[in-house]
Amino acid sequence: MSTLRRLGEPRIYLPLLAVLIIILAPLAIESPFYLHVLVMILFYAALSQAWNIIGGYGGQLSLGHAAFFGIGSYASTLLFLQSGLSPWIGAILGGLLAMGTAFAISYPCFRLHGPFFTLSTIAFGEVIRILAIYFRDITRGSVGLQIPFQPSLAHFVFRDKASYLYVALGYLVLTTAVTWWIERSKLGHALVALREDEDAAEAVGINTHWAKLTAVMVSAFLTALGGVFYSQFVLFIEPYSVFSGDLSIQIAMVAIIGGIGTVSGPIIGSFIVTPVSEFARAWLGGSYRGLHFLVYGLVLIVVVILIPRGVGEWLRAPYRRLIRRLPGWRPVEAPPPAAVPAVPFTPVAAGGNGYLLECRQVSKYFRGLAALHQVDLTVRQGEILGLIGPNGAGKSTLFNTITSFYPPDKGQILFAGRPITGIRPPHRIIRLGIGRTFQVVKPFTNVTALENVVVGAFCRTTDAGQARAEAAHILEMVGMGQKMDVLARSLTLADRKRLELARALATRPQLLLLDEVMAGLNSTEVTEMIALVRRIRESGISILVIEHVMHVIMSLCDRIVVLHHGEKIAEGTPAGVSADRRVIEAYLGEEYLIA
Amino acid sequence: MQVLVSGLLLGGIYAVISIGLTLIFGVTRIINFAHGEFLMLAMYGTFWLFTSYGMDPYVSLLIVTPAMFLVGLVAQRAVIQPILGAAPLMQIFATVGLSVAMQNAALLVWHADYRTIRTSYSTSVLEVFGLVVSIPRLAAFGVAAAMALGFFFLFKYTYLGKALRAVAQDRRSAMLMGINVQRIYLLSFGIGTACVGVAGAMLMPIYYTFPTVGTYFVLTAFVVVVLGGMGSMMGACVGGLIIGVIEAFSGFFIAPALKEAVYFVIFILMLLFRPSGLFGQRGAEEVGLK
Repeated sequence: MSTLRRLGEPRIYLPLLAVLIIILAPLAIESPFYLHVLVMILFYAALSQAWNIIGGYGGQLSLGHAAFFGIGSYASTLLFLQSGLSPWIGAILGGLLAMGTAFAISYPCFRLHGPFFTLSTIAFGEVIRILAIYFRDITRGSVGLQIPFQPSLAHFVFRDKASYLYVALGYLVLTTAVTWWIERSKLGHALVALREDEDAAEAVGINTHWAKLTAVMVSAFLTALGGVFYSQFVLFIEPYSVFSGDLSIQIAMVAIIGGIGTVSGPIIGSFIVTPVSEFARAWLGGSYRGLHFLVYGLVLIVVVILIPRGVGEWLRAPYRRLIRRLPGWRPVEAPPPAAVPAVPFTPVAAGGNGYLLECRQVSKYFRGLAALHQVDLTVRQGEILGLIGPNGAGKSTLFNTITSFYPPDKGQILFAGRPITGIRPPHRIIRLGIGRTFQVVKPFTNVTALENVVVGAFCRTTDAGQARAEAAHILEMVGMGQKMDVLARSLTLADRKRLELARALATRPQLLLLDEVMAGLNSTEVTEMIALVRRIRESGISILVIEHVMHVIMSLCDRIVVLHHGEKIAEGTPAGVSADRRVIEAYLGEEYLIA
Repeated sequence: MQVLVSGLLLGGIYAVISIGLTLIFGVTRIINFAHGEFLMLAMYGTFWLFTSYGMDPYVSLLIVTPAMFLVGLVAQRAVIQPILGAAPLMQIFATVGLSVAMQNAALLVWHADYRTIRTSYSTSVLEVFGLVVSIPRLAAFGVAAAMALGFFFLFKYTYLGKALRAVAQDRRSAMLMGINVQRIYLLSFGIGTACVGVAGAMLMPIYYTFPTVGTYFVLTAFVVVVLGGMGSMMGACVGGLIIGVIEAFSGFFIAPALKEAVYFVIFILMLLFRPSGLFGQRGAEEVGLK
């Protein structure tokens, strides 16, 4: 389809029209004040968009973004004042400096979660502000820096507001384009996944630490550009304005009011929020200082309680209806029917002894409690091995040690003949070709079933189209073809279990660890699931399965290993194990023997 | 020695503020970013009682503390209750919103001026073994110690204390044991806020108040709570004293302007290497998040 034809679609020409209106705005708006307000709206939208990358998509709530902003401001201004370097180049350098700072700060801090991460960002923001005031030889401390008014393009100083308007617009378009691109990329999917559930994200092969670091560095770079714009617009900077905690809060607030984790959220948020402060400042003057922030605070509370997904959520449906009525509307064309690559399966050669997975004398202790004690276990290429045992026997712990969620304290684990003991973090194990599900399912609840599986498919590709095609194919395979667009949180338990399985399959494992995928399913669903597991094995994937439903285990497994109190007490064929006296005592009970 | 004593006395105040913060976190698993603003409110309350009615700050303690308890109850009902089950992201934002709103409401009503009160004893000192001890600071420390002791008995010997601890450990089991969990949430928030009521009244004779005074103290309180261990009373007390001393020493030996930077660095190191703090249970910081 030609680009020109696509211009005729409302979803393309509507945003372009909006940009055009802003470009023409200076012709219609004569008052410098209104132009100023418009500049500020675009400016805050862009800043908030930059924050949105890590704060919204990644769910890492930073309240220290003013640090990056201030670094950009000070870097470009100091370079200009001291060596006459054009702020345009200074902006790039400031951005890179902010990126470096973001890396240094975030590398350790991303080990923290939730409010603790937020606290650390506040603390870092404060430290950097204090340092900026303290090192007054460089920054001139609280006195601030004045940029001389010498209008020229090279100096990034303009006489008229319209020029600033265009720069701000360019800044917004840049940040929005970056966000738009990230949203569709592997990185964007990784961010959303880790926001929803960090363990599950690791379990589909996402390097969560790397994803967060990349996102925060991109975010810091873009935020620093905003700092440069601010200093060139106001021509005066001081630590209390560019490093202020209020700025950090305002950046985040704009995004949350509009709707975090969406491309449109920060823009909508800024059009709502920014005019309030600008008009309050202009009309009420100094006597009502604080009024606009009071309003912000109240709006924020109301939004969080009543519409946590932001005001943008309200506008989405009317916007879609509008688009449909406009000339040139066509339904979205379905992506070219799944050119599903015949999953390029290069089965890893099993170890020399024919074992795909080998656990040797694996032990795991939790404060003296032996969850696993010298467990030997092997999975042969192409087999279904059952792992059974009473509750608390250590079955799930074994899964967690194999996939490095809890590395073993003693013993060795080999995959395809290669030692993988203690390779951390878990995503590295997953990428080697071990897929897993969780006993308590961990779907990415706020995205669709399809997106859940796409995240898994990104484990082996960076191509979004291919990932989608593969994901769709796998969902068909597990019988969820009709439910691709359903949000994961509204799925039934049976579907969530299937989804969990589909997501693990999408990582193209050689070995699949299934943790009670049948628990809680009714008998029809169990029968379907058994057939599905068999099909998966036939496709060449070896399976290690934990299950409580006895008839499932008996009919499905080639061999069975029994754990009890963290130790292996039996191993063998289903018939052999079910006749074993120790197993009967420990687990099955007399009734089973009689039956 | 002089530095050590003044640090310890200052630490007493930090301890009281931090006890409130840690109590709220321990029970509800919500970090109250608006805690400092409640302190600010208490300080203005004390200020107002003094200037309008000439009431001594130590007497107004008896009015400000219960008043703050009520304020805490109202805030809990209005803001905290609706977000108890929400995503952590939203919980942070709700209390940040509350903090921003209160701070700026104060700015609007009372303007940015620094206000302080002059009592007959504001500057009076006591000399013990050649050490100069400020009397209001000593009083603040005494009250802090009394409160810590009071909390110790509350938790150990009363039904309410036991219920609070039970909810802190496992809200579901506590519910099954017939504890009215909603009520406990409400009370813990009230009590936590009452703590800053006490702290506010004790601070007024030695400090000044302004709309953003809370930010300064609450950031310190976060450092204390992380140092002592989230949710640990003992940790809050000891952490408060340690931070007080560190602040006094770094102000004395390094540079007054950098003292905040010093303890923020400690804070970050602590978060990274021992997020459970000195007295916190390992893994406690994860409980509310997973």
